[in-house]
Amino acid sequence: MNLKFNKMNAKIKSILLILTIGLLLGFTSKTDDTGNLTISFNHFFKGQKIDFTSEFVNSHDEKIKFSTLNYFISNIKLTKKDGTSYSIPQDSSYFLVKESEIQSKQLHLKNIPKGEYSGITFTVGVDSVRNTMDIARRTGALDVGGTAKGMYWIWNSGYIFFKMEGTSPSAPDQQKNKFAYHVGGFGGYNTKTINSIRTKEFETNGLMVSRDKNPVVAINVDLAGMFDAHTPIKIAERSTVMWGDISTKIADNYISCFKFFNLSYK
Amino acid sequence: MYLIFFLMIAFVVASAFVIDDDQPVKIVVPSNFPAPVYNLEKNKITQKGVELGRQLFYDGLLSIDGSTSCGSCHQQVSAFVQQDHDFSHGVENRIGRRNALPLANLIFSKSFFWDGGVFNLDLTPVNAIENEVEMGENLDHVLKKLNASLLYKARFKATYGVDSITTNLFLKSISQFLATMVSANSRYDKYVRKEGEVLNADELEGLNIFKDKCSTCHSSDLFTDGSFRNNGSTADFRFDKGRHEITLADADIGKFKVPSLRNVEFTGPYMHDGSLQSLEEVLEHYNSGMKASASLDPVFKKRDKPGISLDGNEKRKLVAFLKTLTDQEFLTNKKLSEF
Repeated sequence: MNLKFNKMNAKIKSILLILTIGLLLGFTSKTDDTGNLTISFNHFFKGQKIDFTSEFVNSHDEKIKFSTLNYFISNIKLTKKDGTSYSIPQDSSYFLVKESEIQSKQLHLKNIPKGEYSGITFTVGVDSVRNTMDIARRTGALDVGGTAKGMYWIWNSGYIFFKMEGTSPSAPDQQKNKFAYHVGGFGGYNTKTINSIRTKEFETNGLMVSRDKNPVVAINVDLAGMFDAHTPIKIAERSTVMWGDISTKIADNYISCFKFFNLSYK
Repeated sequence: MYLIFFLMIAFVVASAFVIDDDQPVKIVVPSNFPAPVYNLEKNKITQKGVELGRQLFYDGLLSIDGSTSCGSCHQQVSAFVQQDHDFSHGVENRIGRRNALPLANLIFSKSFFWDGGVFNLDLTPVNAIENEVEMGENLDHVLKKLNASLLYKARFKATYGVDSITTNLFLKSISQFLATMVSANSRYDKYVRKEGEVLNADELEGLNIFKDKCSTCHSSDLFTDGSFRNNGSTADFRFDKGRHEITLADADIGKFKVPSLRNVEFTGPYMHDGSLQSLEEVLEHYNSGMKASASLDPVFKKRDKPGISLDGNEKRKLVAFLKTLTDQEFLTNKKLSEF
């Protein structure tokens, strides 16, 4: 009886504690010290907006129709002119951008300390720490049984950072003209493996974050460069890439496709 | 904000009723074993969790057509390999390209599968679930099926106090069951731990031959060093490059995980391709059947012809010793069985 009472007591105590924390959190988030920021991704091919019905032609004269375009954005960091920076907290810094889902192309970042930021840095892909972290910490965009479906190699543990699929007459008939580029590789766990993690930094001069401003940083991604920016990738020669030394070269190609477009306020 | 806050209260109240009652299960590390690799701190093992994991392990719901469970290819009577199959049979009778590895002492393993492509025990079931020739399913669809099952919803609620079955809790439940698959009570174990077991003269001589000629790779009382080596079972790697498929290193073409030898009496056929039928054939392979290729392990290159010299007498004694690694308790433990 007495034991049961003590247990009840502990339960009430923990409820009160959580109540207090909850209230405190509720108040602090309403202060004037933070603001929101949106990063918006727009996909192009030689300047033309990408969709899944149009035909595009790469610099190797190969006709392309896209069916999948997904990639992870992570480890977002905002830098100031004085050299200081603010990193978006780890547990809310992983996003899966999908051409097929309009809302996924807008990353909404909250509770950013107010101020002027002169640059944004992010990773296309998922860092090695998250790739090897306990499954309990891999929620949201990283849930291999949820949002990250199809973006994880089950036989070779690790996230697929970038996935582009579609059809092209240049891809072999026997695979129904399908091409697929799945790029990943975080460097390996016990043994060194390929590393396709790529990071991009942009100048965002004049970017003001505060409670009453809602800045939007637009990033244009022109994926024509995926086929030719540094290493020529011809569908006729290489229509399927899943896990190979060429993966890192493709990563070099696509990272150079990400370009700052403009800064606006909602 | 307040939704989260209410959920927190709901969780505290629910956990007070549910988790308090559950019994933690202590995984006893055998005194002749190294420390576990799996982080048991991050997956608190309870009686209910293990029981739930066992039910999932033996449930065909995890496969696309309901036909194939983990237990279909990992059968207890044969130390959790598929009896008499060189390649495992999955859904729609599709045939895999590798021989299923036995399941035992998984929490002591640094990597999983013949090529070591998976390094976290929690993620091993997904490999079988999503492999087209094994269970042919998608993890997210398995979770949808589980969340639509009143039985499983009730089981997860009773075990973890949750209303929704997540990737994490699904995988952690299976890991809890896998963690209990410790095989360490063979006659050999009881002999080395001085628990009153005696090995006969052949078995003892076999043990000494083993230490001399096999224990470089099959080291420690796990009977594997966890490394990847080419043991010459084939020189044709066109359809299976083994460890190379993960590391992409040329030196790794044709290397496969050194398997444990626990319960080896029952885990045949042997090798990644299931090409050898009996222990006698395996030993003769090392003596005379080795197929040389560029990545053949240096331990086999100590004589003119690659291999390890074993005469008839040595082979007989080695087989006698290898059979002392049979763990009857493990093979018949009701807590690991389907029914």
